[in-house]
Amino acid sequence: MNISMRRLLGLLLFAGAYAFGVSAAQAHPHVWITASSEVMYAADGSITGVRHAWTFDDMFSTYALQGIETKTKGVYSREELAPLAQTNVESLKEFGFFTFAKADGKKEKFQEPVDYFLDYKDAELTLHFVLPLKTPVKPRELALEVFDPAFFIDFKFADKDPIKLVGAPAACQMKFQRPNDGTANAQKLDEQNFMSGDNSNYGAMFANKITVDCP
Amino acid sequence: MRPESRSVVMRGLTVCIAAVVVILALDGAVNVLMAQTPFGAPRPSGAEPQVGGIVGWLLAKQSEFYREMSSTIRAAKSDGSAVWTLLAISFAYGIFHAAGPGHGKAVISSYLVANQETARRGIVLSFASALMQSLVAVLIVGICAWLLNATAKTMCNAEKVIEIASYALIAAFGARLVWTKGGGFMRALQATQPAPAMAAVAHHEHAGHGHDHHHHEPSHIHAHGAHHEHAHEHGHVHDEHCGHSHGPAPSELAGPGGWQRGLGAIFAVGIRPCSGAILVLVFALAQGMFWAGIAATFVMGLGTAITVATIAIIAVSAKDLARRLSGGSEGGGALVMRGVEFGAAGLVLLFGGGLLFGYIAAERVTCF
Repeated sequence: MNISMRRLLGLLLFAGAYAFGVSAAQAHPHVWITASSEVMYAADGSITGVRHAWTFDDMFSTYALQGIETKTKGVYSREELAPLAQTNVESLKEFGFFTFAKADGKKEKFQEPVDYFLDYKDAELTLHFVLPLKTPVKPRELALEVFDPAFFIDFKFADKDPIKLVGAPAACQMKFQRPNDGTANAQKLDEQNFMSGDNSNYGAMFANKITVDCP
Repeated sequence: MRPESRSVVMRGLTVCIAAVVVILALDGAVNVLMAQTPFGAPRPSGAEPQVGGIVGWLLAKQSEFYREMSSTIRAAKSDGSAVWTLLAISFAYGIFHAAGPGHGKAVISSYLVANQETARRGIVLSFASALMQSLVAVLIVGICAWLLNATAKTMCNAEKVIEIASYALIAAFGARLVWTKGGGFMRALQATQPAPAMAAVAHHEHAGHGHDHHHHEPSHIHAHGAHHEHAHEHGHVHDEHCGHSHGPAPSELAGPGGWQRGLGAIFAVGIRPCSGAILVLVFALAQGMFWAGIAATFVMGLGTAITVATIAIIAVSAKDLARRLSGGSEGGGALVMRGVEFGAAGLVLLFGGGLLFGYIAAERVTCF
């Protein structure tokens, strides 16, 4: 074999092994959230916002409760949890509340959350909050996605009543698609494109997709 | 006439290949950098990949083990034998956790490749940094949560400070590698110029700098004697007319000075604890099973070390193979190897900078 050919081969081998070692710097979930959400409508049929109830897994709930003083041990009232709820919504802002809305293909923005509080039941914390849209919209199609692009948090919608439309016009139809249920004509993320770094939509693989069509 | 023209062609080729390798390496890193929109809105997605294959399986396994930890710690409160289950799960989690993407093993592998370290050194580095990671996690939770009963918010602020320090250290470490390896690469580049006069200049230059951590080695003595095993250590130029004398044996390179260098890598990588370990420790503490959490953390670190060491060995062997195949001791081969080392050094710097400025989403600190 020709020397330069051998060199090339050696380098390719090296680059391949290297790519395996480096790959990409994505996280895997450490926090699990069971969500149930409501799409809120005004009387005129326009969408005003989203109401979320996110239940954290017991390990994260315990972590979040670390150092919080209560009158009765193991019992956390809404008032005692208010500072933590405040911290939650403030921190979630950085991540866009993991809620991404598009009205007829156009990105919509949310305002600061309102009506937020935490409750504690069966060793799990549930964060309730309302995300009002900056401007209410009345699209033919609303696309709502809930996920963590970095996949540090695994969002799973509740088995029972994952999404509700509250006050929606009767003609509106809601479709809900869980991640990985294979209904999308999805491109498979195999080792090959993982290694090549073609994973810009990494977290999006775990997106929960809600679409509401109002003809 | 003929051998000369042939060597010119070869040099040209190797320069190209070296460039390709550096570009490949950088491209990989840039892809990592660009692919992330960690906290932004999702990109308008055309293709929506599904998780499958090894990567998906790794992620699924990790989640499985991790989720079992909380119930196992609960069970261990009343049933002592559940502690063994906890340790087994933690060990498996550690192995799978490190097999997934992460910056620790990337930095360690890059460092090993840039510095022509031995596989044995790679193993020691992997275990030492994993041990340190576990220790830091235990210290954070032990001091913040157990001694001070601080809130999660306080604890996560402490984590954030440590995180930034860790990234800055990696970047500084990478900058230093780039500085030394860049010198070697430039000199190797110059040496491939046909003019012997330039090669001579390169020799003098190399004697002047690029030795900041090799003072214990008598580098000037073999300024003209290239030894393929550690040529990069001295930034040696490998001219065809001087390739015979010997430098220090590889074993000498792993002397005290060498270990000191390795400490930098251990510290830069190991100072940042794993978010998962912190969560497990706080949970165990709340269940009154702090000791079980500590045991789980160290076993997790052991599992992580095994995987990182395996990857480090692969990286080191791949480079050895590349060196052998590229005929590492001749001018062109030396250039290729200097190029690879330079690229690896650049990767460490890129990782540090990328992590520091938030272009690479590392495992998030649990702050909400």
